[in-house]
Amino acid sequence: MRLACLPIARHAHPGQFVNLKISDGLVPLLRKPFSVCRRNAAGGWFEILWKIVGAGTRMMSKYRRGDSVNVLGPLGKGFFLPAGTERAILVGGGLGVAPLPFLCEELLQAGVQAEVFLGTRGQNELCMVDFFEAAGAQVVIATEDGSSGCRGKVTEPLLEEIRRSRNLASTYLFSCGPTAFLKAMIDITETFAVGGQVSLETMMGCGFGICVGCPVQRKKRRPDEARFQLTCIDGPVFDAREVELLA
Amino acid sequence: MPDLSTKIGALHLKNPVLVASGTFGYGKESEGLVDFAGLGGIVTKSVSLKPRDGNPPPRIFEVPAGMLNSIGLANVGVETFLGEKLPFLRGLDTSIIVNVAGSTADEFVQVVERLENEPGISAYELNFSCPNVKEGGLALSQEAAVTQEVTRRVKTVASRPLIVKLTPNVTRVSEIAQGALDGGADAVSLINTLVGFAINIKTRRPQIHTGTAGYSGPAIKPVALAKVYEVATHVQIPIIGIGGISGPTDALEFIIAGATAVQIGTANFINPATGTATVAGIEAYCREHDFHTIAEAVGSVQPW
Repeated sequence: MRLACLPIARHAHPGQFVNLKISDGLVPLLRKPFSVCRRNAAGGWFEILWKIVGAGTRMMSKYRRGDSVNVLGPLGKGFFLPAGTERAILVGGGLGVAPLPFLCEELLQAGVQAEVFLGTRGQNELCMVDFFEAAGAQVVIATEDGSSGCRGKVTEPLLEEIRRSRNLASTYLFSCGPTAFLKAMIDITETFAVGGQVSLETMMGCGFGICVGCPVQRKKRRPDEARFQLTCIDGPVFDAREVELLA
Repeated sequence: MPDLSTKIGALHLKNPVLVASGTFGYGKESEGLVDFAGLGGIVTKSVSLKPRDGNPPPRIFEVPAGMLNSIGLANVGVETFLGEKLPFLRGLDTSIIVNVAGSTADEFVQVVERLENEPGISAYELNFSCPNVKEGGLALSQEAAVTQEVTRRVKTVASRPLIVKLTPNVTRVSEIAQGALDGGADAVSLINTLVGFAINIKTRRPQIHTGTAGYSGPAIKPVALAKVYEVATHVQIPIIGIGGISGPTDALEFIIAGATAVQIGTANFINPATGTATVAGIEAYCREHDFHTIAEAVGSVQPW
């Protein structure tokens, strides 16, 4: 879905999100977060990627071109590019592909080589493949039912690629998806000592730090550090070494 | 121009609309999203003697026209509050009410003693009603004698007005309010959240990590209004009404039912400027209905 909004189009960074008040009514009551999927600063628009999962997204399916919606954003801390990164591997689990097109564009502009690994249940859930290919990124697909690309989890072709790689020191892993998928991604960064960032999908109340409803546990903490950070203002993107995802 | 200024004992507010504890952080989070000076006051996130991590996720879950939360009083603790949070708050052109949490009467007394000598605080709100912690919390406002005794203990060290925040999870909230009054409270604020519960039928786990949680939002407004009306008609104490207020109509219902002031809670999560919009709506109402002061509207509910 494309939304015309000049300030967000101008100021958003890859990995940041917007918080939509989907309806003026009481259901859904709270805003719902969506990653900025792509943006065009000159054109004054940005896009979000979504699918029908509940009452709110069902209402969104009835939006028509020209409708107005109340949007708060850009929110949160997005992806950042560590110095010395020459090659980026972007991994999206399911709808976790959402923030990756924007990130991919920026990486390619910065002269970083980008490879994209996408995993979904089936071909009908695959999104943005044409976009990545047109942008000049290599795309590897895995579907659980084998309807496109390799059959199985996306971690399998990813692991193969990482084992083959000779330049892991300058390789960096960016991933977004459901919690179980991100846990697997964090394991990979640890096993192969490769740097990585994860973008979390967490239930949020407000999106800007006042409800304190979206905690994520720190992996290692100094005695003076709190046990939790907040996904909305400290993330949604975290260094893979920093977070301990709970089941 | 109607006069919206509001007095609650020695507490003077520029208007009767506050933002509720736990729904506005420590103010700074909403910088740029709201004109703080338009608010009657800010009630801070609870402050306890030591920092608290709060409960594990999931902490929130949305239900029709409302939400469940179990944050568990996550807060920075009184020392960090004074060092890092209060300096910003006291620079704002609005009243700052510090919400105090504790497990025991001693802890409430210690936190208030620590706050006493700090400038920039207008009043204390004692959180006797958090449903999501194992110790203290709810139990402090479920028996009138306990509420009275803890209020009395805190009153001996507090030079500023004391507001006691009450739970609706009792048989007769007016009896608890009477206990607060007898203990020396200057006002009561109600309601804190209702105890609620939701289950994920796929996993058969509660939707919230701690199981039961606090239920808030527009759905609870009629319950909150009934509790406020009960206290207003039974106890001679100023009331700050809370519960599902999303705009001027809701706020005016509480005021007409007997609340001297109101707090906006869950609605801040959707729009932190709900409070200032509510003030504007109350002002327009006063003009239309020839109220010269908002005080004239307080408790003005008419019989059939």
